[in-house]
Amino acid sequence: MTQVLLAVVLGLLFALGTFLVLRTDVVRVVWGVTLMSQAANVYLVTMGGLTGGAPVLEGGHGGETGAVTDPLVQALVLTAIVIGFGTTAFALVLTYRVHEEHGTIDLGEVRAE
Amino acid sequence: MQPSRTALLALLVVPFLGAGLTPLVYRVLGERTAYYAAAVAAVCLGLVGSLYGTTGTVVVPWIPSYGVSLALYVDGLALLVGTLASGVGVLVFAYSGGYMHGEPGQAKYYATLLAFMGSMLGVAFAADLIALFVFWELTSVSSFLLIGHYQDADASLYAARKSMLVTVSGGLFMLVGFLVLHDAAGAALGEATFRLAGEGSMLANADAMVAELRTRGLLVPVLALVGLGAATKSAQVPFHIWLPNAMEAPTPVSAFLHSATMVKAGVYLVGRFRPLLFTDEWLVLFAALGLATMTVTAILAVAASDIKELLAYSTASHLGLIVAGFGLSGVLGAETGAFHILNHALFKAALFLVAGIVAHEAGTRAIDDLGGLYRDLPVTAAVTVVAALGMAGLPPFNGFYSKELLFHAAWEVATEAVAGGGSPLWWLIPAVAVFGSVFTFLYSIRFLMLFFGEKPEALGEVHSPPVAMTAPAALLGALALAVGLGGVTATAGVHLAPVEAFVGSVVDGTVVAAGDHGGHGNFSYHLPTKVTPYLLMSALTVGVGAAAYPSFDRIRDGVRAVRAVDPLRPNWYYDGTVHGLDRSAAIDIVQTGQLRTYVVALSLVTAALTLGAYAAAGTGLPALVAAGLEPALVVVLLVAVVGAVAVGAAPSHIAGVLTLSIVGFMVAIFYILASAPDLALTQLVVETLVLVIFLLVLDKLPAFYGSIPRLRALRDGLVALAVGATVTVTVLLSTAATPEDVIAAYFVENAPVPAEHGPVFVDAGGGGNIVNVILVDFRAFDTLGEISVVAMAALSVVTLVAMRERGEVR
Repeated sequence: MTQVLLAVVLGLLFALGTFLVLRTDVVRVVWGVTLMSQAANVYLVTMGGLTGGAPVLEGGHGGETGAVTDPLVQALVLTAIVIGFGTTAFALVLTYRVHEEHGTIDLGEVRAE
Repeated sequence: MQPSRTALLALLVVPFLGAGLTPLVYRVLGERTAYYAAAVAAVCLGLVGSLYGTTGTVVVPWIPSYGVSLALYVDGLALLVGTLASGVGVLVFAYSGGYMHGEPGQAKYYATLLAFMGSMLGVAFAADLIALFVFWELTSVSSFLLIGHYQDADASLYAARKSMLVTVSGGLFMLVGFLVLHDAAGAALGEATFRLAGEGSMLANADAMVAELRTRGLLVPVLALVGLGAATKSAQVPFHIWLPNAMEAPTPVSAFLHSATMVKAGVYLVGRFRPLLFTDEWLVLFAALGLATMTVTAILAVAASDIKELLAYSTASHLGLIVAGFGLSGVLGAETGAFHILNHALFKAALFLVAGIVAHEAGTRAIDDLGGLYRDLPVTAAVTVVAALGMAGLPPFNGFYSKELLFHAAWEVATEAVAGGGSPLWWLIPAVAVFGSVFTFLYSIRFLMLFFGEKPEALGEVHSPPVAMTAPAALLGALALAVGLGGVTATAGVHLAPVEAFVGSVVDGTVVAAGDHGGHGNFSYHLPTKVTPYLLMSALTVGVGAAAYPSFDRIRDGVRAVRAVDPLRPNWYYDGTVHGLDRSAAIDIVQTGQLRTYVVALSLVTAALTLGAYAAAGTGLPALVAAGLEPALVVVLLVAVVGAVAVGAAPSHIAGVLTLSIVGFMVAIFYILASAPDLALTQLVVETLVLVIFLLVLDKLPAFYGSIPRLRALRDGLVALAVGATVTVTVLLSTAATPEDVIAAYFVENAPVPAEHGPVFVDAGGGGNIVNVILVDFRAFDTLGEISVVAMAALSVVTLVAMRERGEVR
């Protein structure tokens, strides 16, 4: 059931993200992209399986690791979160610049100029 | 002797490094950057000189997993093209110092020219098809930039686009040909390689390659594909149309790229592939292509009204002669091509520099307005006499010898074919060669007559040119004269050894190893000492040309009348196609410039392809397992969805940002539940930062929210639903199917530190966290990439904000 719930939730997040990207307000477009990248990260972690403990060795040397979740997807997602942060910041400054250049953040009007 | 690895690599690095430094140098030196660029070219010329006499391959691994390496190969042909690129480069840069005085965009001009020179050297020395292709396209790109140097002139932009479209699309055909060759090499050589020259290469196993291609029925397609690349680059009929337009570039560029070097890349390719692919099909294809080009463009040159247009058509015509030479069989064919590359570069680069001087000093390039220039430009006139008569093919000037070789080769091929029972159509080859040469003679003399006869009244005062402009032209003229006189002294027994040995080594590189008879490297040329059929062909050319010259104007008008018929003009087809594509209604539907159009198209296509692929593969949804719902997870995910809905429905930007961070924090809690503590920590930090940045930026933005018409909301909702459904199905399918052998298992199994290392690794080194160890050790390069992305984003942010504050609006 967990998988079904996650699948539906991810589907909804992507749908809302797409809807936002289709708006003419640049800020909302940025939100949409952020929302979709969050959902993509969650998807990747889900792929690694949700059962098992944190992938950290128990207290020191030679210890058994036991059943842990997939460390590889976590490493990938960690990178993705940081890069997502960089691109969001960049997108926001671009938005600011669009406002400065065109005096509007309505994409329909920006194009008309 | 093996070439020096250092010298070869330096040869490729120096021009590009020089190009990169040009903007800085320009700030210091200003217009004298020309001499800096000339110095860089001189260094390259020196490096090429140091390679003289060596043969062999130098390999630098590039993409080892695909067998792609930067292999460089030195032989006579490569050295010839390399010498032209760097040698003519020195002269053109020096000449630019005078010509470009007061022109705009000089830093860009010199940087591009230097980058071009580097690319051309790369084309000459590449021994690997991929490297050859990359450098080949780089020359096209730099040519595009240089032709469009005057960015405000529509004619420049038109010409730049045209040359780009023609040469780059030809290059793509060539790439397909290379891939076919690569594939064929897999069967013929035992391993699929891109190596063109050197040990274990295609050239070293030419017979096996041709046999393999023939059995697959791919020989003619490969010839056609490689031929298309060469024909577009070297302006062969019907792709010659871009070359006359390319004359919009500054004259030094025309002299350098569009006569001496870049257009030679095509004939270089033909020469390089000649030993590999020479067959009867090759002979027919390239001899026909070359002779057709030589004749058609020579006729068009007669109709030219502008001196640079005349020279452009003439360049295409002489390139046709070289291609025809390489197309014909035997050592003679190779000698024609090799020797004419050198001769043409000498006389044509000189003539272009002359044209630049005339345009600069007389103020016009119109042929009808010019005349009697020798009084004002005596040195230039002398250079023109040598170069134009060489172009006409008159003895004892340099063009005569290579043209005589063409006649000889054409005659031999025709007599051999007819004697072997071939059809009399073979006689067309020598006949067309003579016919085309008559027109060459006509326009050469016309160009020469700019300097003699009466000076038209309308032509004002003609200034004398600066030494920086006359000296390079005079030097090229002197070299052309020396090559020509070498033939005269050779008749008396004194050979011009360096030139003969050099051309001989070029011939070695283009001659077919097995099929060609005759000695290698024994090239020599001299005036004919007895009457032969081919000497009579030369005499016929000159005789008919001289007889026809008095009625030059009538011939020209006749050609112009024929040229005006639209369906006969390749330009008519080019303009029609480009204009048709440019103005078609489809563009307005596909390219609206609106983000939403592209997002809708992209989303729907991706969704359709994904779902279609599942359906095609017959994948069924996995069975539902009705157990194991963790209450905490349900709550967190539901809150996230509610947050996301609130983002979509947010009445203000502030409300939206706040609800967006609710989603973010819920995702962080999800990571905790999913046993990913590192992700949760990172997510919390990032989410906080993003919230702060959002608020900082929103403070500066207007409160625009945009109303959504109902119809549009419905349409967007449907697109969003399609995307959501695709994601749901994908998640269900992919989480249900976990592969047997996951990479992560390796890390988990090997994570525990062996007992003999003691606790220090984990306790002091923090090696207990598998995710951290993966990030900093095993995938450290990914982390480096991640840091670079953040750094670049930060730099871009600073630039975007600071540039505006400094007042740079665009």
